[in-house]
Amino acid sequence: MAERNDHYKREEDEEEEEEEELDENYYKAQKDALLFAINVSPSMLKDPPPSEDKKAIKDNAVIAALKSAHQVMQQRIISNAKDMMGIILFGTEKTKYVDFDGKPSNLSYPHCYVYTPLDVPAAEDVKQLRSFVHDGDDEDQLLVPSPDGVDIKDLLFCANQIFTQKAPNFGSRRLFIITDNDDPHPGDKSASESARTRAQDLYDLGVNIEVFPITHGEDSKFDLTKFYDNIVYPDPTSEALDSERFNTSKSGDLNSLIKNITSKQTPKRAYFSNMTFELGPGLNISVKGYNIIQKQSPARSCYIWLDGETAQMAVSETTRMAEDTTRTVSTGEVKKAYKFGGEYVYFSPEEQKEVKQFGSSTIRIIGFKDRSLLKFWMSMKKSVFIYPSEEGYIGSTRVFSALWKKLLKSGKIGIAWHVSRTNANPVLVAVIPSRAQDDEDSGTPFLPAGLWLYPIPFADDVRPPPGVKTVRTTDELTNQMNKIVRVLQLPNAAYDPTKYPNPSLQWHYRILQALALEEEVPDEPDDKTKPKTKAIHKRVGGHIEDWSNLADQELTKYEEQQGIKRELEHDDEPRPAKKAKKTIKAENGDGGSVMNDAALKKKFNSGELTKLKVVDLKDILAAHGLDTKGKKAELVERLEQWVEDNL
Amino acid sequence: MADKETTIYILDLGSSMADCHNGRTESDLDWSMRWIWDKISTTAAASRKTWHVGVIGVRTDETKNAMEDQDGYEHISVLQDLEPMDLPKMRNLRDSIKPSNTLEGDCISALIPAIDMIDTVAPQRLKFNRKIFMVTSGEAPLDLDPDDIQSIADKLKSNNIALTILGIDFDDAEFGFKEEDKTELKAANEALLRSLTEACGEDLGTFGTIAEAIDELDTPRLKATKPYKPYDGPLTLGDPEVDPRAMRINVERYFKTKKANPPTASNVVVRTDHGTQSTSTLEDGDEMQGVEYGGGEFAAVKNARTYKVNDPDAPGGKRDVEFDSLAKGYEYGRTAVHISEAEFNITKLETTKGFSIIGFIQQDKYEPFLNFGESCFTVAQKNSTADSMKLSSLIHSLHELESYALARLVVKDGKDPILVLLAPHIDPDFECLYDVPLPFAEDVRHYPFPPLDKVITVNNKTLTKHRYLPSQDLEETMSEYVDAMDISTYALDDEGERTFEYAAVDDTYSPSLHRINQVVRDRAIHPDKPVPPIPHILLKYAQPDRDLVEAAKTRLDDLIETAEVKKVPPKATGKKRQHERARPISGLDVDALLKMPDNKRTKIDPDNAIPSFKQMMSNANDVSDFSEAAKQLGQIVRQLVTDSFGDRNFDRVIENLGVFREFMINYEEPMLYNDFMGDFKKRLLSGELGGDRRELWWQLKGARIGLIDKEASEESKITREEAAEFWKK
Repeated sequence: MAERNDHYKREEDEEEEEEEELDENYYKAQKDALLFAINVSPSMLKDPPPSEDKKAIKDNAVIAALKSAHQVMQQRIISNAKDMMGIILFGTEKTKYVDFDGKPSNLSYPHCYVYTPLDVPAAEDVKQLRSFVHDGDDEDQLLVPSPDGVDIKDLLFCANQIFTQKAPNFGSRRLFIITDNDDPHPGDKSASESARTRAQDLYDLGVNIEVFPITHGEDSKFDLTKFYDNIVYPDPTSEALDSERFNTSKSGDLNSLIKNITSKQTPKRAYFSNMTFELGPGLNISVKGYNIIQKQSPARSCYIWLDGETAQMAVSETTRMAEDTTRTVSTGEVKKAYKFGGEYVYFSPEEQKEVKQFGSSTIRIIGFKDRSLLKFWMSMKKSVFIYPSEEGYIGSTRVFSALWKKLLKSGKIGIAWHVSRTNANPVLVAVIPSRAQDDEDSGTPFLPAGLWLYPIPFADDVRPPPGVKTVRTTDELTNQMNKIVRVLQLPNAAYDPTKYPNPSLQWHYRILQALALEEEVPDEPDDKTKPKTKAIHKRVGGHIEDWSNLADQELTKYEEQQGIKRELEHDDEPRPAKKAKKTIKAENGDGGSVMNDAALKKKFNSGELTKLKVVDLKDILAAHGLDTKGKKAELVERLEQWVEDNL
Repeated sequence: MADKETTIYILDLGSSMADCHNGRTESDLDWSMRWIWDKISTTAAASRKTWHVGVIGVRTDETKNAMEDQDGYEHISVLQDLEPMDLPKMRNLRDSIKPSNTLEGDCISALIPAIDMIDTVAPQRLKFNRKIFMVTSGEAPLDLDPDDIQSIADKLKSNNIALTILGIDFDDAEFGFKEEDKTELKAANEALLRSLTEACGEDLGTFGTIAEAIDELDTPRLKATKPYKPYDGPLTLGDPEVDPRAMRINVERYFKTKKANPPTASNVVVRTDHGTQSTSTLEDGDEMQGVEYGGGEFAAVKNARTYKVNDPDAPGGKRDVEFDSLAKGYEYGRTAVHISEAEFNITKLETTKGFSIIGFIQQDKYEPFLNFGESCFTVAQKNSTADSMKLSSLIHSLHELESYALARLVVKDGKDPILVLLAPHIDPDFECLYDVPLPFAEDVRHYPFPPLDKVITVNNKTLTKHRYLPSQDLEETMSEYVDAMDISTYALDDEGERTFEYAAVDDTYSPSLHRINQVVRDRAIHPDKPVPPIPHILLKYAQPDRDLVEAAKTRLDDLIETAEVKKVPPKATGKKRQHERARPISGLDVDALLKMPDNKRTKIDPDNAIPSFKQMMSNANDVSDFSEAAKQLGQIVRQLVTDSFGDRNFDRVIENLGVFREFMINYEEPMLYNDFMGDFKKRLLSGELGGDRRELWWQLKGARIGLIDKEASEESKITREEAAEFWKK
């Protein structure tokens, strides 16, 4: 529970470039607590009718919901390592509440059973839940509905207490209610009113309720207006008129339920809010920014204390010491200075501020350009997604939409000066529209429609190319390559990131999970990024072979031409060389100092490799991706070995 | 590593340099030193052991050089031998660079000791950049004949030394300067010096007027970088190990973009041990090639870590553990997973170096905002005709078919695989594949947003007319405005026509990088001067160009009129807002429900503190209700602290105080909060609330929930300074 420590340590310790999610609720921890409340009732426990369809789900709704909770739990361990999760079963015959330390408490809320106490999930929680849903291991008889149903107010206050105690000061607290009962208290005005009051409490506590309604079969409906519209408040993080407020899932449809739930597993968090977007002098609108694309990396390793009953992570604390005397220094003594020429150059805190002051945070358009002027290589870091908000300027949404349409239609981009917060380093960004998600031409249907702030490099960030000589392809050779490229198109001719999980990240957590659960460690990772080489060989193996042979021929031609050219030059006669093929860019000087494989083989057979110069040896080795370090004898040996193995 | 470098500055320090000329209010010396200091401090900032700087003064009162015994070398003083530059040396130079009391001294003669100095440090067999810069007003008689000029030039040439002569008020037609009342002597000297640089040849000799050099100071200089090659090996299609038919091209992949970060400030403390010689070197001085951070007023701060674990039996619930007793591991959720040192790589994916194509996509199906990192470019293995031609065929094929290639890249054995997108680039004399990194499945978050081109209501109706959607008029005026503000060809070309791209990458400089470099250099040269203003060039693109805005003004006015955007007034203050309570989706008035006697909250429930506090505040009738709510919440907070086992309740305390503070600002009752906090601080720090609670104090500070000052609430009497003072114990 020491996460708050991060807050103030971050203020003092970290470099200024630290990406901090910005929020009005400055004092809150940027963490999410997610509580599943799954309704246990006879209808929720009813197995679906047998079906011929292989894809049909065979689980009842409770199991389906628990399965999705299990999946979310595993995913959140990877993606939201500090966030909490818990599961309540409600409507059960049994009742259980646990106190702060996870011990059963006398306090109780009838027919609410805290199955997984709200916390950062432990390996044990994952294991318990898995054996519950996958092995049907219900020895405690939890999935027995209470004959009297449940009072929703009890569920809501139970959730209230869990959030208050276990997730204090969390920036995001969410209660997911999964049920098929759209009217839990028909005709009971007092029970309904109590529920509403408790719902108001939850709202005031900053808990957001989301209902995942389940219907059974085509005919049944889940009418939110009967009850739930009175206890659910508009989601403060959702944009105006969010159409995806509710998703009605078919009963037991594990996949759609999981899809709906997993799409909400990460709380929507703004990177910045109420940012001024200056379209021109005197025309400002307000936008919010989101980090939709964000690198996920494995959590860093930590230090673990093994001498106690259970292994636990040791939390580090930092004290500062002066380099010269190793005396401990207090925070107030520490000053900021820049290294310069062997010493430090000091600025007072006021001066530091002044130096970094580039005006207030803004996105200020300085003009528009043709999209083609944004070159492929002008890439620095992830882009931030912006979406209009009416909080600063009324009418922002329609102006934003007009700009978005215009940029899409004319193939233009905006260029803007962007300061993401006071004292942040200013950057120039391209403002690029993303197409509507239902647009068939969109290559990125997995991304929302809006504008993106795409950082452009400054001149300082661009590296010059090295001097290299290029030998150009011939039309025939390009045509041969075209055959290969045409055949190996990816599905929809687009890149779809959802198809490529990060293999190192997945493997890291897979192994950790196995270790934590004391399971067998798998030996083969499932790496979706590996090219499907078998299919490639099968589909274009012949084409590649043709291309290789053709390349050898063209190369020989090219070298002959080079030879002729050199001779001509030696003749000292300015007679034009025999006209080379237009596509070949004739080069001056030595055409190919790295010999081709055939020549190499010849030299090898005649034992002439030792006659090569060290420089040439290194070039040849490097050309084949081999190590170029060592003495000449070693280089020759390495090259001989390679020729033997490969030619 | 940049190249090794020796630079000698020959400075004219004659007494006439103290005068001001041509309408300047700065002496000639101060003026030209602007440029010299900029050069020297740039070298010092780089802190490289292989960059040597020497300074020779001419027309000095003294004579101090290796040739001082010979005739003709009088009034030439070596002020600094060729040495790596640092701040103390700059201080020394600052003291010694002063106008002298003499007019005597020959700056061309000074070249002889300069050449000798360079030859000693950088003998010809070594690879060095050798430079001499001479700054002179050209007013002293030069005793030379043309033969001497030639022999000096030959010497410079044979030693491969570049000579740049920058004259004060020298004529320069190209730059557009001509001194009107030039003395004959100066004109003759100018001609002589010019002939010297000409004799050195175009490669080595440069002649100019210092005004031009000073003018260019504001234009940021780009730091030269050596090409860096993160990958070097085969680019494959298919697996050559499995099938000999697989494609294999040997390539090299270099950085194309790489963020040039501004220098970051280090933590330092004022030295307490003046006098004792420090021999320590900073461990983390990785960018420093060997220059030691020893002397000076400040000492570096380093961090020492201690480790704690939870222990219910220890006071405060935590106890220290020895670092040596700790094992390495990872967290899986809240489970600590220990992995022995020998097996530590077990979670690391085993990978083999390689660059393999997965498949191809259409260029128009890719959006630039999908990439998330710096770009590289790939060229064929150096000097390999075969690879070059093969790679060229791939580049041209991608170009013809308007495709990109998706590839998996492992830069070294054991490194994490990344996915990159390869794009063809063809110039008349340069071809390559550019690549950018792409996100994996986990890197893309799925946040739902409503569409921008239509409004879908709760009842699933689609609207095409709505206040959130632009009208036809708005779309048209927007379109005209965007076209009017086009800067694709707005920059001036050499003929003064607007044909060049405006704000092209080559013309934009990182404002923060150059700003910090500028002020640090300036402070190093002039420790007593205030921070200089930001050079205009760094702010050039902070605003749209004035002429452009002027030209587009009517379009913008039309757009503003059509758009009808209204600023939301600054937080409609407190008391009026309080009744605008959020309602559930049904719109049900829960407030009314809460006001019913049965439900009304008059007492804050400690278990449900925040909701009952908020409801009590919102249903309050008068000020006494506010202070009652504040009193009760305050009591709950104190109790939470007192009862807290270790830091267990701290987060609840912070949350309660955060809400407390926020509501007292909104309800314009800041004093209720401030009074509470004043009392709370005393009790907290005196140990009255369950012992040593300083940890909580730090956390409160970190959460920034101190006194409400005047800026946060007009009703407050606390100044910003007083609020800051509050945190000091």
